[in-house]
Amino acid sequence: MTTANGLVLYVRSRAVPLTLGRLAAIMAFAAYGAHSVDVFLDPQRRAPVVVLAPVFAAAVIGSSLYAAADELDRTAVRPWWPPRLAHLLGLTALAAVVPALTVIGDAEGFGAAAVVRNTLGSVGVTAVAAVLVGARLSWLPAFGYLSAVYVAVQGAHGRAATVWAWPLQPGAQPGSWAAALTVFAAGAVLYALRGARPERLPV
Amino acid sequence: MNDVNNPEADRTADPTGQVTDAAPQVTDPALKNVTDPTVRVTDLTVRHRRTTALNGVGLDFGTGVHGLLGPNGAGKTSLIRVLATVAPPASGRVEILGREPRGHRELAAIRRELGYLPQEFGYYPGFTVREFVAYVAWLKEMPAEDSPAAVERAVERVGLHDRIDTKLRTLSGGMIRRVGIAQAIVNDPKVLLLDEPTAGLDPEQRVEFRRLLRELGERCTVVVSTHLVEDVAAACTGVTLIDSGRVAYRGTPDSLVALGDAESVAEPGPALGDNAIERGYTTALRAHRERALEGAAR
Repeated sequence: MTTANGLVLYVRSRAVPLTLGRLAAIMAFAAYGAHSVDVFLDPQRRAPVVVLAPVFAAAVIGSSLYAAADELDRTAVRPWWPPRLAHLLGLTALAAVVPALTVIGDAEGFGAAAVVRNTLGSVGVTAVAAVLVGARLSWLPAFGYLSAVYVAVQGAHGRAATVWAWPLQPGAQPGSWAAALTVFAAGAVLYALRGARPERLPV
Repeated sequence: MNDVNNPEADRTADPTGQVTDAAPQVTDPALKNVTDPTVRVTDLTVRHRRTTALNGVGLDFGTGVHGLLGPNGAGKTSLIRVLATVAPPASGRVEILGREPRGHRELAAIRRELGYLPQEFGYYPGFTVREFVAYVAWLKEMPAEDSPAAVERAVERVGLHDRIDTKLRTLSGGMIRRVGIAQAIVNDPKVLLLDEPTAGLDPEQRVEFRRLLRELGERCTVVVSTHLVEDVAAACTGVTLIDSGRVAYRGTPDSLVALGDAESVAEPGPALGDNAIERGYTTALRAHRERALEGAAR
C-alpha cells in the first residue's frame, strides 16, 4: 500500500468525491443566484447568496468529517493531523474561491471578499461543532448562529456588532474578518488535533 | 504470584467500605513460566463520566488465547479499549510489549504490533474487502511492498479470499465480522484484541474461527471478550471473569469446568447452567458477588 494509494482510500473513506459533487451543486446555485438578482440596481441584493452559499458549503464539508470506522482510525500509527488539516483546508479553499469568482465586483460590500470571509467563518464554526458534537450534526450550530445573527442584527450598531454579526457585514469590515479568521483557525486546529467526536461510544 | 482461584486474597475494604483490589496483581495461570508478560495492567481504573467501568484492576497476559468473560456492563469492552490505546484510563499503569502507551513514539511502536476488532466496528460500504483491509494496513504504516501480500493473506485466513474484491455493502453480517477479523490480523500483530468476534458468525464459521484463534495464540497474545463460554472452552488457554469492574475469577477453561462440576454436585439441576463451563461461570460470578457483599458489609 503506497502512500498515494492510502491517501486515495482516506479520501474515499471521507466521501470526498460525493462532497465535491455537492459543493459543485452549491456553487452552481450561488452563481445562478448572484447573477439572477438585479444587482446592478442594488449590490446588497447579493447578500442572501453571500451569506447562504458559505453556510451550505460548510454543512457539506462538515458531513465529510464523519468517519464510520472511527474506532479503528484511533489505532492508527501515522499521525492524524496532516490528513485532517489537508482535508479541511482543501475543501475550504475550493468552497471559498470558486463561489467568490461568481460574485466578483463590489469588493467593499457583498462581493467576493464577503464570500471568502463567510466561508472561512462558517467552516470554522462547523469544524468546532464536529469536534464537540460530532460530524453529523456539525451543520446545526452554523445555521443556528446565522439565524440568531439575522434576527439580532436589526438595529445593532457599533464596533462589537461588526464582530459578532460577522456573517452579515460588508466584505471590507476588518472586525468581521478578525472574527471569521479566529473562528476558522480555532476550528481547523481543534479538528486537526482531535478529529470529529465519535458518535457511538462503546460502553 | 497470587492464588488465581482465590482473588479474595487480594481484597481489602477501602475507607468507604467498598471492596477494592488492593494489590491487584492476578497472574494468568497460562503464564506460570513466563517472566515477561506482553500485556500488564496495574491498578487500572476507567471511568465513563460518573460510572466506574474498571476499578483498580491488575492483570497480565502472555502468549496464548485469553478469554474475557462477564455480564453486560462488566467492564470487558473498557479493558479492551484501554489496551487498544483508544481510551485513556483514569488511573493506573498499562504496559504493552514493555512500553507504556504515552507519547507519539511509544504509541506508534505499540500500535504497529497491535490488532484490534472493536465490538462495533464501522466500515466503509463502498470499499471492497481488499480496500478496507488495505486501508487498515495503511493506518498501521505497513511497508508498501509488504502490504498487498499481507492483505491477501489476512483475507484468506478468514476464508474470504473468493470475496476479496466484493464491496462491503453486499456482504452479510457474518462476512463483515470476518472482514473485521482480517483487518485485525493484517499486520501480524503480537497483541490481538477481539471484542465479541463471534457475534453474527454461524456455527460452522465459529468452529473455523476458534481454529484460527488457537493458531494465532501459538505466537501472539490474544485477548478475546465474549459472552459465549463455549468459545472460551474450545479456544482459550486462560479465562478472566470480570464483574462490576473487578476481576472476579482467573483460571483456565479446565479449572472453570472443574468449578462447575464441583458445584453441580452440591446444587444439581440446570439452575447454574446447562453444561459444566456455564455452571463454573455462574458459580464463580456468584462467589465473587457474595465476597463483594461481605466486604461491603464489613
